Amino acid sequence: MKEFWKRFSRNKGAVIGLLVLSLVVILAITAGFIFPGDPFQSVGKPFEPPFGEFLFGTDTLGRDVAAGIVHGARTSLLIGLIATVLAVGVATIIGGFAGYYGGWIDDILMRITEFFQTIPSFIFALVLVAILSAQIENIVFAIAAVTWPPITRLVRGEFMAMRNREFVQACVVLGMNDLLIIFREILPNTLSPIIVTGSLMVATAILIESALAFLGLGDPNVMSWGFMIGAGRTFLRTAWWLCAIPGIAILLTVLAINLVGEGLNDALNPRLRNQ
Amino acid sequence: MSLARKRVHYAGRRLAQAVPIVLGIVVMNFLLLQLAPGDAADVLAGEAGSATPEYMAMLRERFGLDQPVWLQLLIYVKNILSLDLGFSFRHNMPVLELIMERLWPTLLLMGATLLLSVGVGILLGLLAAARVNTWRDTFISVLAIISYATPLFWVGLMLIVVFSLKFDWLPATGMESVAMFYEGWDRVVDIARHLVLPAITLSLFYLALYTRLMRAAMLEQYGMDYVVTARAKGVTEQRITFKHVVRNAVLPVVTMAGIQVGSLLGGSVVVESVFGWPGLGLLAFQSLFARDFNLLLGIFFLSACLVILVNLLVDLLYTFLDPRIEMK
Amino acid sequence: MSRTKNKLVSQSHTTTKAGTDSVLESQPLHRSRRDFLKTTGAAGVTILVAGSGLAAVREASAAARKGGTLVHLIQPEVPTLATYLSTSSPVSQGGTRAYSGLLEYDFDLNPQPSLAESWSVSEDGLTAQFKLRKGIKFHDGHPLTSADVKYTIMEVLKQVHPRGPNSFREVQEIETPDEQTVILRLEHPAPYMMTAFSSYESPIVPKHLFEGKDLRNLPYANAPVGSGPYKFVEWKRGQYIRYDRFDDYYKADMPAIDRLVQRSIADSATRTAVLERGEVHLTGFGGVPYSDAVALEKLPHLEVTTDGYEMFSTMVWLEFNTRKAPFDNQKVRQAVAYAMERQWIIDNVWFRFGKVATGPINSNIKHLYTSEVRNYEVADGLEKANQLLDEAGYKRNADGVRFEITHDLTPYGEEWQRFGEYVKQRLDRLGIKVTLRYEDVATWLRRIYTDYDFQVTSNWLHGFADPVIGVHRAYHSRSIRQGTVFVNGSGWSSPETDKLMDDAGVEPDPKRRAELYKEFQQLVVEASPIAWIHEIKFPTVYNNMFSDVITSPLGILGALDRVHLS
Repeated sequence: MKEFWKRFSRNKGAVIGLLVLSLVVILAITAGFIFPGDPFQSVGKPFEPPFGEFLFGTDTLGRDVAAGIVHGARTSLLIGLIATVLAVGVATIIGGFAGYYGGWIDDILMRITEFFQTIPSFIFALVLVAILSAQIENIVFAIAAVTWPPITRLVRGEFMAMRNREFVQACVVLGMNDLLIIFREILPNTLSPIIVTGSLMVATAILIESALAFLGLGDPNVMSWGFMIGAGRTFLRTAWWLCAIPGIAILLTVLAINLVGEGLNDALNPRLRNQ
Repeated sequence: MSLARKRVHYAGRRLAQAVPIVLGIVVMNFLLLQLAPGDAADVLAGEAGSATPEYMAMLRERFGLDQPVWLQLLIYVKNILSLDLGFSFRHNMPVLELIMERLWPTLLLMGATLLLSVGVGILLGLLAAARVNTWRDTFISVLAIISYATPLFWVGLMLIVVFSLKFDWLPATGMESVAMFYEGWDRVVDIARHLVLPAITLSLFYLALYTRLMRAAMLEQYGMDYVVTARAKGVTEQRITFKHVVRNAVLPVVTMAGIQVGSLLGGSVVVESVFGWPGLGLLAFQSLFARDFNLLLGIFFLSACLVILVNLLVDLLYTFLDPRIEMK
Repeated sequence: MSRTKNKLVSQSHTTTKAGTDSVLESQPLHRSRRDFLKTTGAAGVTILVAGSGLAAVREASAAARKGGTLVHLIQPEVPTLATYLSTSSPVSQGGTRAYSGLLEYDFDLNPQPSLAESWSVSEDGLTAQFKLRKGIKFHDGHPLTSADVKYTIMEVLKQVHPRGPNSFREVQEIETPDEQTVILRLEHPAPYMMTAFSSYESPIVPKHLFEGKDLRNLPYANAPVGSGPYKFVEWKRGQYIRYDRFDDYYKADMPAIDRLVQRSIADSATRTAVLERGEVHLTGFGGVPYSDAVALEKLPHLEVTTDGYEMFSTMVWLEFNTRKAPFDNQKVRQAVAYAMERQWIIDNVWFRFGKVATGPINSNIKHLYTSEVRNYEVADGLEKANQLLDEAGYKRNADGVRFEITHDLTPYGEEWQRFGEYVKQRLDRLGIKVTLRYEDVATWLRRIYTDYDFQVTSNWLHGFADPVIGVHRAYHSRSIRQGTVFVNGSGWSSPETDKLMDDAGVEPDPKRRAELYKEFQQLVVEASPIAWIHEIKFPTVYNNMFSDVITSPLGILGALDRVHLS
């Protein structure tokens, strides 16, 4: 663990990223304390510019943009995390089985993966949200549904490589249960690339959510950054802060996640960096 | 068997394998879309602001929506097997014709984006990796990671505000200056000017990705034994870089670009919407909300074909770049 | 001659309107022709009315510069140009230019000559006779005669048009004694029918091209042939539709511009940008967001007007599902109606593009509208609402919540989301906990008009020029038709109001008709199956390098034949 931190902190960008990300997470957790009540509630006059009475100004209905940012952090992170966990979970199972068993199982599972990769992913996400209606759980599902195939390929590759390692072969010879081998023996050894990819996936999920909301497919009951941009872009020139501030929030968060992801990569896969 | 014949053979087999995938996509999406509440008749009547019940019944009969789902599917699959994509009742014209009109703007945007992102991405990655850990490397990496993290539509809106509204250098939307009706060379220039902003917007994300990929791949290649050997033999750094390292490092970038054609098509929905680019992504988006399923399925069908074709081309390109790779 | 006549009527109209329209007067934003006339036109109108202004008008239009290309931005994208099959806004904006109607209308919705140079309705209201102009041609050079009119009404509008079967339901047969005369024989009087002869509502199609073919699958759906001011040239899908001036248009010297190009842009911010840049010259009907219209108004080269929607009488409201609790209770519906601050909504959600609505009939239809109904726009609305909810037996629980509902939002743009967010916050103060639901058009229509699976939804309907066409459908028991959209979704009706509507529909005497509708409005407003919020005043934005753009109550859905370079 100490070794891990040492390697992680050698990457300055990753440390900065971690600081920013921690700040966002803390804001998200304490949203209810900082800005109690519903972020949709009007608190002042519409279109108050930022850095006046309200830190980030107010929007078209007089709602506090800062409250929206803080509550939106919670939504964006949650959407990102849950969608990623879902996608990585599916990808691990499918990729794991395909990589471990090989042969016709691999063939079928990879055909399915390929199948989903052939559909234009964002359009597919739009179709899913439109059909299931724009509720937060459906949006999460749609994001997961279009992001799992690349991770599956990665997991499969890792499993295929592990399959021929001696310790796995030993388990097979000992007659160990396949499921045990897959989840107890191989999975822990492939975790680091999965974690790295997963961390980047969170960023992708946040971006997809914001694009969906931009096209008008956000959940109207939940404050999110995408929603704020979607609602604010009409006022792009009259009230720049409505789009700019959540845009910067997305940019910073996604940036931070990417930096942390790189740091994780350095820390978990030292082989690559040391070359 | 000669290499060329081998390639043709390989391409043929790959295309044959693709048929069930494309068919599967069409069938799955057909069934998926059946779950969508409301139909084209609802939308048409809804847009008209009013309609009589007889009118709506007439629309449904005409669209074949009064048939059971399995029969509709059967008819659709039968038609698609004979490459008949059906009729868009909303646009009152055959789907194929409609798609073909929108195909070349899409291909133009995609081509420009691919060229820009792969080309500039490789160049920047190369520049960064050649002087790793200098200010140039840091600068390029920071730039890449920021572009990677910026929402596409946001970039698009900002570019319009700056280059179109503030400086008035480039047109904000569309593919041509519609009121001018340019001909010949003027028209080419006109379209090129319109292409600049959307192509930059769409390529920014991929450019960042390819820059980082190229840089990583170059660094990996530099660590390989053959480079060490070459250095030991006294081969110049320049020669090593251009003769060996770049050539090998380009491979993963090209693969990635091939894989991402599908996502490029999807990402273009947002960019086309911001820039009013008359492409397929926007058409798909609109047909979804108009419940114009013949059209939407047609677009899915065509884009699946496109993705498969591009992937095949990438794989063939691979065999040119690295003849050791076997076609199996 | 007819041109100057129309012009005279429409201009004198706008002045009277400016004088009476207090809501608009309080809005410095909309610098429309009304305001212009208010400051400069008073003297001019007297002259015009006196008749000596005719020469001045003729001179002005003769001086109008010829030529130019007008680029018209249509939102959303045009699906087809078959205006005889669809009355949707993009189809009509795209296709109406190609066609003419028997009549045009002035801003008070009085009929004016168009293809018909004169017309009359018999005293018993059972016969309507039109006399067509001589020498009218279709774009293909074929003459337009009474046979085309007969064919259009009987075989096209009454058969395949979305509203035609309703507008012309009383038409039994049409006689065409000669090429210029059309006589409509009606079963019952149909006073509303005379509002339905515009080129938008009833485009006259060429019989010689349409007859004997499948009307729903004609090449002319996407390449129209009519007798309108502009001749269709080409349609590049996703890019533009091009019309050129029709040289044989029956109004001499019109249109003055050479070319009309129409295009669509999906993104609203971009639409505003191209207007600002001058890449397009005209848009309306929600083509730019209300907030942007306010900003664009300040630019020197753009004009914003709210004229040109008089024929649509569009209204915004909350529609209750009266089949189910809690909105089966009249008191609950009234409570919600009292809770709404209409002027606040207009000011903050619609950026002042609206006028407080009081009941089912738009105040625009002056001869039938009454304001003598229960008034829900009061200062102590919340108190009244709380009191009504208490009376209805919906007490607050420990958390202060009376009941929970889901509020559906009509999926026609962002302002509806903001409106929904307002409703949610407002009803929260009444102890009604609201969850918002936003679905796409098809899903929402299914939910409201087929499945009846909703509690309260925002909604908007055009009232059109006559209640029979636009208003009855939302309140009559016969309009509770499962699966048909934009009819009576609330499920509310009463025998009294049904009878009032039936009687008023066939009442030829205008005074008696107004009395029937007055009683109808009072009863419906009391029952409150709908909480009327406001009458939308859509902004039309145009580049002032062009003049005389909006000259009809149909606005951008009109012929656009008078427009010329400034």
